[in-house]
Amino acid sequence: MSKTKVQFTDDQFIDGLRTGSNEILTALYKKYYNLVLKFIVNNSGSEQAAQDIYQETMIVLYENVQKPAFALNCQLQTYVYSVAKRLWLKQLKKNGKTFLFKDDIENELVDVSEDINDHLNKETDIEKMNKSLSELGEPCGTLIKDFYVNRLSMDDIAEKFGYTNADNAKNQKYKCLQRLKKYFFEHEITSIETEKEKNENDRFI
Amino acid sequence: MRTTDLFDNYLNQSLTAEEKVNFEQQLTSEPALNKAFKEHKQLIAALQDHSKREDLKEALTTIHAKEFASGAKIIPVNSDNFRKGFGRTAAIAATTALIAVLSTIALLSAGGYLLKQQNTQLSELNRKVLKLEASSDAIIENITKPKVVYAPANLEGSAFALNNKGYIITSYHMVKGADSIFIQNNLTQRTLTRLVLTDPTLDLADLKIYDANKVLNWQVPFSLKEKATEVGEKVFTLGYPRQDMVYGEGSLSSLSGYSNDTTMYQVSIPVNPGNSGGPLLDDNGNIIGVIRGKLTSSEATGFAVKAHEIIKSFKSIGADSTKQELLAQGKKVSLKNMKRSEQIKKINPYVFNVLVYKKD
Repeated sequence: MSKTKVQFTDDQFIDGLRTGSNEILTALYKKYYNLVLKFIVNNSGSEQAAQDIYQETMIVLYENVQKPAFALNCQLQTYVYSVAKRLWLKQLKKNGKTFLFKDDIENELVDVSEDINDHLNKETDIEKMNKSLSELGEPCGTLIKDFYVNRLSMDDIAEKFGYTNADNAKNQKYKCLQRLKKYFFEHEITSIETEKEKNENDRFI
Repeated sequence: MRTTDLFDNYLNQSLTAEEKVNFEQQLTSEPALNKAFKEHKQLIAALQDHSKREDLKEALTTIHAKEFASGAKIIPVNSDNFRKGFGRTAAIAATTALIAVLSTIALLSAGGYLLKQQNTQLSELNRKVLKLEASSDAIIENITKPKVVYAPANLEGSAFALNNKGYIITSYHMVKGADSIFIQNNLTQRTLTRLVLTDPTLDLADLKIYDANKVLNWQVPFSLKEKATEVGEKVFTLGYPRQDMVYGEGSLSSLSGYSNDTTMYQVSIPVNPGNSGGPLLDDNGNIIGVIRGKLTSSEATGFAVKAHEIIKSFKSIGADSTKQELLAQGKKVSLKNMKRSEQIKKINPYVFNVLVYKKD
């Protein structure tokens, strides 16, 4: 009987994230949640805030791992902690708070600013897309996603949405795409920050 | 061809070599086209990123709900967690508490799950947990530990340990379509498992406990018996038709089960909803089968899948590490020549209540 705990190495986590393994994602999520929870709660955050920050941390990690050039040059734990800390700091600043952090592993931070900046740049476009898609409405949103994300053929789309043939579906897709484009580029950088402000319901002491 | 189609075809690499060269030349010579193309790329990238992000968020939220909200972690209801994320759990807690006051009777459905559509004689024995269920134990728990609240499972039944590696056997019909599966008993706190293997023809499912720490000290005192058991032998079962473990005994009455199915034994043990997935043991404490169902027309006619059929099923899977682990059965403790009550004390820690959660 072996006494070794079923554990994944940092490399296994990274490979698993690259291949989209749900098992790895679950194991990873479980592994560092308490670390981040403790940090946020110790630094005037609620459990809900910790969950939000941790989710964003996982997204940053996930997205950066997908880059071919990504290389982890520290322990995964240090990376996760550093990202979570940066994101929380940003959040606190936005709320006009400054804090002296209570850190457990203060000297074990790595510079993750580049990874976070990549994430935030992407975030801007994703927020715009989110808004544009809700303005676009249905069936346009689904149709566009079926073509560009799910890679359905025009024949499949015609059948799914009840168009008489692929050409009609193609026309419809074109009209939808033009509208989406209009909304998307109208928004530019506008409402992202205010939108976030609205969702802000963390309680600060 | 519309410009956007040209863009799409270029990005999908479905242009011919010649078209591709032409298009790239156009891009350099026509700034307006170049700008439109860049915008198109940005738009499509944002669309794809948005989709990916939404999927990821959903996956993470599901993981969180599963691992930290619906059971694996104790949620203090009266703190400031009473918010968006935990609101649902808290609402269920409130409902449970209210009903606990109103009713002290556990409402169990009568195990109406039917194995074969054309015939309604054999009912499988999962315990469908009604939303209104509140046993006296739950009430006491609510009074003494008002902060610990789990969402009620959609389905409950029995299970038992296969070996010291944390593998658990239960019935397939219990876990079919499950979203998450927990096990618990008096000694093992509620813990999450994952589905390792299913064999619908034997109604067999194999789970594994996620947390390897939980099984470090395991000494499973029984194993699957490879030899067939004779008619007339004394047999017994342990299971969770309700929140506490219940013992049932009888004898092996036939070497074939429901409609002459030779993968099953018939036993004269009164089994109830919730017994599904429990172990069937012989006098010496060997596992000879897994309780699967009973005749709806008779209270004391149960059916169990034969242990050696299960071993056969394990052997039929391709060679991999899981197969080795499933077949590893080493037991150090023997239950032979022990008094029944002593046997049960040894077996008790390795028989579990299964809690199955399904989406909607």
